[in-house]
Amino acid sequence: MALTQVSSNKCAGGFQKVFEHESTELKCKMKFAVFLPPKAETDKCPVMYWLSGLTCTEQNFITKAGSQLAAAEHGIIIVAPDTSPRGCNIEGEDENWDFGTGAGFYVNATQDPWKTNYRMYAYVTEELPKLINANFPTDPDRMSVSGHSMGGHGALICALKNPGKYKAVSAFAPICNPMQCPWGQKAFAGYLGSDRSTWEAYDATVLAASYSGPQLNILIDQGQDDQFLSASQLLPDNLIAVCSEKKIPVVFRLQPGYDHSYFFMYSFMNDHIKHHAKYLNA
Amino acid sequence: MDLYEIRGGRLDVIAEEGELSRESTTMETYNVAAGSGARTARDVSTFQRFSIGTNESLRFEPCEASTPSPTGAEDGCGDDDDDDDVFKEEDTESEINSIRNRLQGKVVEMENFAGHLEEIFLTVEENFGRQEQHLEQHYNDVLQTLSQRYDERGAALEEEKKSKLEALYKQLLACGRALDSSKELIESAQEVYRSQDKRLFLKTVMPTVKRIEEYAKEDPDLTLATRLEFNTPLADLSDVKTMMDSINVVPAPSAPVINPQMPNSATQTSLRVCWSLFSDDTVEYYELYYRPVLEDTPADSTCAPHESKVKVKETHCTVTDLLPNAQYELWVTATNTTGISPASEKALYMTVPSPPVIKQRECTSCPEAALIRWDSGNTNPVDSYTVELSETETDGTESSITESIVAVPSCQCLIQLQAGRRYLISVRAVNIGGPSDRSEVITVSTTGTFFHLLEDTAHPCLSISEDGFTIFYGDEELPISAMALDDNTFFTRCVAVLGDLIPVRGRHYWEVEVDDGTEFRIGIAYEDTERNAYLGANSSSWCMRHILSPTRHKYEFLHNGWSPDLRITVNPVRIGVALNYDRGTLSFFNVNLEQHLHTFQCNFQSHVQPCFSLDNPGALTVHNGIEAPEYAFM
Repeated sequence: MALTQVSSNKCAGGFQKVFEHESTELKCKMKFAVFLPPKAETDKCPVMYWLSGLTCTEQNFITKAGSQLAAAEHGIIIVAPDTSPRGCNIEGEDENWDFGTGAGFYVNATQDPWKTNYRMYAYVTEELPKLINANFPTDPDRMSVSGHSMGGHGALICALKNPGKYKAVSAFAPICNPMQCPWGQKAFAGYLGSDRSTWEAYDATVLAASYSGPQLNILIDQGQDDQFLSASQLLPDNLIAVCSEKKIPVVFRLQPGYDHSYFFMYSFMNDHIKHHAKYLNA
Repeated sequence: MDLYEIRGGRLDVIAEEGELSRESTTMETYNVAAGSGARTARDVSTFQRFSIGTNESLRFEPCEASTPSPTGAEDGCGDDDDDDDVFKEEDTESEINSIRNRLQGKVVEMENFAGHLEEIFLTVEENFGRQEQHLEQHYNDVLQTLSQRYDERGAALEEEKKSKLEALYKQLLACGRALDSSKELIESAQEVYRSQDKRLFLKTVMPTVKRIEEYAKEDPDLTLATRLEFNTPLADLSDVKTMMDSINVVPAPSAPVINPQMPNSATQTSLRVCWSLFSDDTVEYYELYYRPVLEDTPADSTCAPHESKVKVKETHCTVTDLLPNAQYELWVTATNTTGISPASEKALYMTVPSPPVIKQRECTSCPEAALIRWDSGNTNPVDSYTVELSETETDGTESSITESIVAVPSCQCLIQLQAGRRYLISVRAVNIGGPSDRSEVITVSTTGTFFHLLEDTAHPCLSISEDGFTIFYGDEELPISAMALDDNTFFTRCVAVLGDLIPVRGRHYWEVEVDDGTEFRIGIAYEDTERNAYLGANSSSWCMRHILSPTRHKYEFLHNGWSPDLRITVNPVRIGVALNYDRGTLSFFNVNLEQHLHTFQCNFQSHVQPCFSLDNPGALTVHNGIEAPEYAFM
């Protein structure tokens, strides 16, 4: 598949690039950001996939999250795709900030008019890795996933639904139990229909309850002053309860004073990349 | 010299090396023609030529193949064809070589003997010289004494003569005066008689006649004032006599000279003492006296230390049955038929100390170093200690290379080591007598950090297992006595104990095994952390705390009483603790899951100790000496 470089900036000794390509899953042009650490010039590097949250594009993460220095230090390639297909001209796609454009929810939609384009789950787990492995000096066996908010939800479900595929997983303020929160309910209803049983396949809390596979070590940071936490959109307690029950190792850190913004992510990004590096570089 | 054996015959004269006057400058060679007669036809010019003028005193002539065998066996080999019998040739060659070597040896022996004789000659000369001197001195003494006597006597006689003369002279003067006065009298009488004046004559004649009459009645004393003979007392020459006698008698020896202590001649219980004669005395035997030097000399002389005596014939003696690390005073006398010499100067010797005892439970180590502590093993102080270490080989045996650290002033030593090895370490105590025996060896492994618990810091309700690594909190009441104590040694509220971490800044890792229901606090604290406080409640301690509530497990990471809000879904039962002084971090891990739990960022002002406490009855076990996993110090 042809990749077109959109931009390239030297950063932290490596290169922060943005590419565009024609996606087969999403049937539109998609952009994604790639950070190539200095090590990538000589060696194959592991890859961390970063899934952004509602309303974000491939730009927010690379400009605000402060990931490049740590990625360069640990020799990790970070790939950050967009959060939904764009320019598909689907009616109603731009009506809501939490559904449609910029709110793909990392599912494969089954309902019209979304099902043709809104296949972010397949894009992130299948098409994108293939593309990345074909075009960049990667070690295809070593990949991990992380994300924020909706992207946190995406990271968790990718890891839980693909035992062994991701060597590490972490999340910032993830939507842990979408079936039980307004955001999730709105999105799943729209993308997956009213049969709630079909939602379970994309709910981290539900998936954790039935997870069996190689041990996952999940790191979650959550700002204590996050308005969406208090608005019961995120529901981390539910996930923790299930993981405690199922003995899935989770370290969940409630960070006092922090909110839902990139400022919060920036503050703990190093810890997360270090967490990923431990498993990717093992 | 048994050259004859080899030669079996003629021994040519060996020219003395000293006799340079000799015309011939080379020695006559001597033949090795044992058994058979000299073979003039086939003279074997053999082995050594001593050329005085050159350095070639041991130049070897190559021996000809046709050398007859030295044992005298008739040689079939020698006669004609050398090429035929290769073996026999080699045989004789090697025999010749061995003869050559033996002769060489003999020559060396002779040279040594000659040297020895020279030495003896010199010694005899010395001895003679000394005797001569001695005799000369002796006779000089006698002569001096005699001339002294003579002078004395002479002087005495002189004195006597003087006094006699004086007395006589006085007498003479007195007579003279008497004469003068009688002369005067006569003259005046005569004058009176001659005087014309009859009246004057009548007046003075009668007194004058009276005077003359009186004078005539006086009896002049005509005895001599002194005797004419001189006093000649008997000369007392008895001491001269003894002096003359003593020339013939062997003098009593003079005090020997006792040597100072030689290094490495003492053991824990014995001393090797040496002395020498002051002069060339004849000595029958020596007596060595010794007594211990006590710290405090008692005022009462009856409590003086016991003096012992050893009789020896040699000029050295090994005194045994002594105390270790003790000072002894020694002196020696020499005795011969005449008597006993005065005592030599007193020398101070010291026995070697007893070996120290390494305190196993107080030794700690880490990958880069080990801290060894020991008991002196001696009641009195020693000068210093020597620490010896050697690495064990891969098969477990001790390496032959030992490293020593000397002049260690106190009973502990921090030794730099290399990671991942095993060392055998022992200690010796050293004083001026030398080093003690080696202490028992301690094995130190530089895999990971190793430490024991400081039992003195344990809360009274905390008991420690026999091996020192498991702590228990029984459900006992705290003894009142313990609460009353206010010294900052052991914990009084938090049921805690500190570990004895080696004071080396670097990376340290250890693990703690707990079970699901144990409420614990584990972490680190400064050595002087408040003993009446709970771990983590102040700024001098950091710890991970497990609280068990009816509904769930709660984990806190406490410092200064504050903890971040964390949830952990799988309860750790084996916790890894990683301390990194350089980065100032303290991290906790779930070892079984290799899961990182939390990291404190600290700024360690001084060294810290591991700390462990139980908040409810239970137990925990410390595991150390473990190589830190890679993820621990990422």
